Amino acid sequence: METFLQVLVSGLMLGALFAIVSVGLTLIFGIVKVVNFAHGEFLMLGMYLVYLFTTKLGIHPLLTSVIVAPLLFVAGVATQRFIIQPLMSARDDHIQIFATVGLSTALINLALLLFGADIANTPASGLRTPITIGPVRVLLGQLVILAVSIMLVIGLQAFLKRTQTGRAIRAVAQNRAAAQLMGINVNRIYMLTFGIGAACVGLAASMVAPLYPTSPNIGTYFVLTAFVVVVLGGLGSLTGAFAGAMIIGLIDSFAGFYIGSDVREVVVFGMFLLILILKPSGLFSNRLSLSHVSP
Amino acid sequence: MKLPNLLKMTAAAIVLSASAAHADVKFGALYPFSGQLALLGEESARGLEIAVDEINAAGGIQGEKVVLVKGDAVDNNQAIGEARRLISLEKVSAIFGTYSSARSIAASQVAELSGIPYFELGAVADEVTSRGLKYMFRTNPYAKDMGEMVVDMVVEKVAPGLGKQPSDLKIGIIYEDSSYGTSVSKHQADFAKEKGLNIVLSSGYPAATVDMSSLVLQLKQAGADVVLQTSYQNDSVLFLQQANEAGYKPAAVIGGGGGYSMQPTADAVGHDVIENVLDVDFTQFLVNTKATPGLEAFVEAYKKKYGIAPRSGHSLNNYVGAKALMESIGKAEGFEPDAIVEAVKAIDIADGQTAAGYGIKFGENGQNERAAMMGMQWQGGKLVAVYPDAAAVSKLNVAK
Repeated sequence: METFLQVLVSGLMLGALFAIVSVGLTLIFGIVKVVNFAHGEFLMLGMYLVYLFTTKLGIHPLLTSVIVAPLLFVAGVATQRFIIQPLMSARDDHIQIFATVGLSTALINLALLLFGADIANTPASGLRTPITIGPVRVLLGQLVILAVSIMLVIGLQAFLKRTQTGRAIRAVAQNRAAAQLMGINVNRIYMLTFGIGAACVGLAASMVAPLYPTSPNIGTYFVLTAFVVVVLGGLGSLTGAFAGAMIIGLIDSFAGFYIGSDVREVVVFGMFLLILILKPSGLFSNRLSLSHVSP
Repeated sequence: MKLPNLLKMTAAAIVLSASAAHADVKFGALYPFSGQLALLGEESARGLEIAVDEINAAGGIQGEKVVLVKGDAVDNNQAIGEARRLISLEKVSAIFGTYSSARSIAASQVAELSGIPYFELGAVADEVTSRGLKYMFRTNPYAKDMGEMVVDMVVEKVAPGLGKQPSDLKIGIIYEDSSYGTSVSKHQADFAKEKGLNIVLSSGYPAATVDMSSLVLQLKQAGADVVLQTSYQNDSVLFLQQANEAGYKPAAVIGGGGGYSMQPTADAVGHDVIENVLDVDFTQFLVNTKATPGLEAFVEAYKKKYGIAPRSGHSLNNYVGAKALMESIGKAEGFEPDAIVEAVKAIDIADGQTAAGYGIKFGENGQNERAAMMGMQWQGGKLVAVYPDAAAVSKLNVAK
């Protein structure tokens, strides 16, 4: 029973980690309709920034989010403006995908050049402190990730529903042409959305960096799972992504313990395929979803 | 008209043959100099460079100066391309390399087809020398040596240290599931069975993992006293941290190479957490130099040439292999492939005579049969040699 609880809690913590990394991706995916393969590298970039701010300036990793998230926002806006937007009118949408793959490779190699292949350690600053609750152990940093990811989803949801900009973003997501006719500057909304998506992953970096050593290819560890989470939750659905992340975290944890670590990816991706076959639009796509899923 | 032409041609021929006589001997240095593996690829190449410096300072090989031509093996395809370039364009007499097993396996096929000797000084996969190639030789210890040394350490040191029979220990084997981890762990399991050890869990995991807590729980559940891990850097850090945080404290953790030998790993995990963790890898630098004559001189030469201390034992092992090979080629007549092969096959250096500690004598398949790894332990934030006894500078600690 104790072990079962520990596996359960480990799964939820892993889910929270996937959730915080995936939120920005689902936003970009659902609204700009760009499959951003460089998402993991944005995370990596953010983690290196956290590493630099903590080690060089002695700032607490969680506080670095105040600087790292805006920096990533700028990086996201620039990516949309200078890489994606010029390709928006390309005859084939897949061109954008190739562009993000190119960006991903370029960023990995840039990091290799700047930081080398070795790992960079962000000081844990107390976030690795284990907390014992009954029979279960978690790290303080994991609880922080869980709390922040919940707040992030609620906050973004409120922003999209309650504010004028949020409504504009949803309008663009539902029908680009109609939104444009209503006087919404679509290109500006896309830049804003890409920026917010990247800022989310910047926020994630501040939470993740103290728990995981940073290396140039750390983004690739997360990005595949993030895509699974986003598709599972229904493209563009924030609560869906959160729920999807929790499901993947739990499956991963239980499969790892009860079946074996060597097959857990088989189980995770097997479940993923099964869910897609049964419900192609994702588990949680509904009318509240940001994305317009065409038949 | 005809006579001057003939004269010119004769003169040209004389000049050509004269320059040929004084031509340097070219060897290829094929390593990943850029990309993901650049750090240790370059570190490996430095060992070769120091060996060449020493050989040239002592008059070269057969009176010829050795010139290294670099090839950058960024990935398997480029390793093949660069091997082709080195052989057909640069006309190297032999290729030295490669650090990465996959690249070595790919590039050596090209050399074999061209009949050019390929000397591997650092890659560990079984397949490098198990393919029956005629021109392939490997000086460094490989996966089997690693598996053997790990099990020896459990039987000879860990079990007695705990006051237990080796067969009473519960062994957990975990490994990253690419060919590196899989092949080393297979050798570990084979040797462990041979010595009658009790393996309670054996599990692979993908190296690009972000969570090993379920594996830690499995080991804890199985009651493993000794954990053998074959891993890269991220997963070494992750396992040691998550085991510590889950309150899982096996009597011994023995890592196999990769991440376990690197200082940043210890810094990431924390020196208190990695204290007493064991590691089997190439000879590093905190060893008893009586067992490794020439090691201090190598470190001095390294510092003089590159301005810093060696960053890992890869340079040392490349240096030892390259130097022995080049000295033997010095005894050959000419640089024809078969002359080189014959000279190299005659190498017979006893254990304890090289700067890495191990001797050199090639077996039928071109593998150095005397190559051996070394057992080390993290003590006070430093990786020190603890096994075998002749090379040890510190006692192997076993926490009861």
